[in-house]
Amino acid sequence: MIYYAPTTLKEFNKYCQAHDNISILAGGTDILPRWQSDSSIKPKVLVDIKKMNELNSIQYSDKEIIIGALTTIQELKIDPIIQQEFSALSQSAREFAGVQIRHRATIGGNICNASPAGDLIPSLYVYNAVIEIAGSKGKKRISIQKFITGVGQTALKKDEIVINIILPKSNEKSIFYKLGLRQSMAISVINFAIAYELDGNGRWKSLKIAAGSVAPTVASLTTFANALCDGNNVDESIQLVDNDISPIDDIRASSNYRRSVLKNVLKFTIKEIYVG
Amino acid sequence: MINQPYPISCKVNGQTITADVSPEMRLLDFLRYELDLTGAKEVCGEGECGACTVVLNGKTVNSCLILAVEVNGSKITTIEGLSDVGNLNQMQEAFVDHHSVQCGYCIPGMVLSGEQIIKDHEKPSRDTIKEDLSGNICRCTGYQKIVDAIESVSETS
Repeated sequence: MIYYAPTTLKEFNKYCQAHDNISILAGGTDILPRWQSDSSIKPKVLVDIKKMNELNSIQYSDKEIIIGALTTIQELKIDPIIQQEFSALSQSAREFAGVQIRHRATIGGNICNASPAGDLIPSLYVYNAVIEIAGSKGKKRISIQKFITGVGQTALKKDEIVINIILPKSNEKSIFYKLGLRQSMAISVINFAIAYELDGNGRWKSLKIAAGSVAPTVASLTTFANALCDGNNVDESIQLVDNDISPIDDIRASSNYRRSVLKNVLKFTIKEIYVG
Repeated sequence: MINQPYPISCKVNGQTITADVSPEMRLLDFLRYELDLTGAKEVCGEGECGACTVVLNGKTVNSCLILAVEVNGSKITTIEGLSDVGNLNQMQEAFVDHHSVQCGYCIPGMVLSGEQIIKDHEKPSRDTIKEDLSGNICRCTGYQKIVDAIESVSETS
C-alpha cells in the first residue's frame, strides 16, 4: 500500500490521475474495521484527505449552512447553529457511536459510505441537502437523493471527492429518531428524520419524512407525508408507509419487525407534533 | 503487496518520535510494539470497546481505527503520559480511591475518557458522564464506581 496525504484539491487530482485502485481515507472509522475482517479489500493506494484544510470548516450565511466534508460528527453535535436550526441533524450526531468515534468520523465519510443505516442521512434527505463535488473537470452540485444510488453506492466518479454538504435554511422544525439494539454504539434497526412546518391554524404547511434501514437507500416516505398534508388522519394513513419501504431480514431485526416498529414510532411521533 | 515505508514525526507523551512506518500499521500497534507503550489495549479491534483509547491532539480516539501514518505531525497522550514520574494524576487517584478497577483491562481507556469528560463539561451530571462514557465497555465493575470516580473529580476541579 502506498500512502499519500495531499493538502490541496490540485494535489488530490494529481494522485487520482496517476493511480488506479485508490481508496480515500477520511476518519477511517468504517474502512479500518472492514480491512480487519477482509484484508483482500485493502487498496493499493490510500489517499488520506484529512490534511486538505479547505474541506474543514462550517460556513454560515442567511440562506444556507455549508458544512465541509471533513467536519467531524462531534463538531456537528456541538455546533450551536446546527443545534438550533437543524435539530434533527444535531440529534443524529448526538446518537452517533461514542465520543472517540465522533472525534474521528466525518460527515463526508458517512454519506460516501452510503449505508442504508447511516445515521446522518435521513436528516440530510428532509433538509434537501446539496452535495458539492470536486473533480478533475471542476466543481458541481447534486442533491443527496441523487448522490446516494444504492447500498454503499454513490454517484461519485473515480476522480471526484465530496467537498461540502450544503443545507438550505428554512422555517421548518426537525426531529430525528433512532432505534438501536442498545442506546449507544449501535447500528440503527430503523431511524427517521422529520422536517415540518405548521400554519397558524396548526395544520401542516410542509412535511417531509425520511427513514433509514428500511430500504437499500434511505427512503423518503412521500406517500404517507402527502396523505397527512391532504388532511388525512394518521391512524388511517400509516399503512401507506409500506408503499415507500422494502426492509430486509438481517442480524439486527426482521423485515416485519422493521415495518411494525417504524409505523408505530412514526405514529406516536406525528401525534406529538401535530395536534391538529 | 509492497508496503512503502512512510516517515512520520509526532510527539508522544511530550517526547518527539520519528520513525518509518508501514502504511498498514495501526497507531495501536505502533504504540504497543514500536514504543512499548502497552497501556492502550486491543480488545475488539473495531472501535466498539474503547480499550485502545488514546488522546490525539486533545481528543480521545480509538487507536485501533487509526493508522500510524495518519498521526504524522500530531500530539499523542497515552495513559503512560498522565502521571508525573510515578505520581498519579487526580483522575487516576480518584479511580484508586473509588475502587473503580477490577481486572483493569478497560481502565486506561476509562481514565482518558474521564479526563475528556472533565474537559468538555464544567459540572457534568451522572447522565452526561454515562453518555460520554458510552464508547468504553467494562465487563467487571458495572460502571457505578467508574462514574463515581469521574464525578468526584468534576466536583473538586
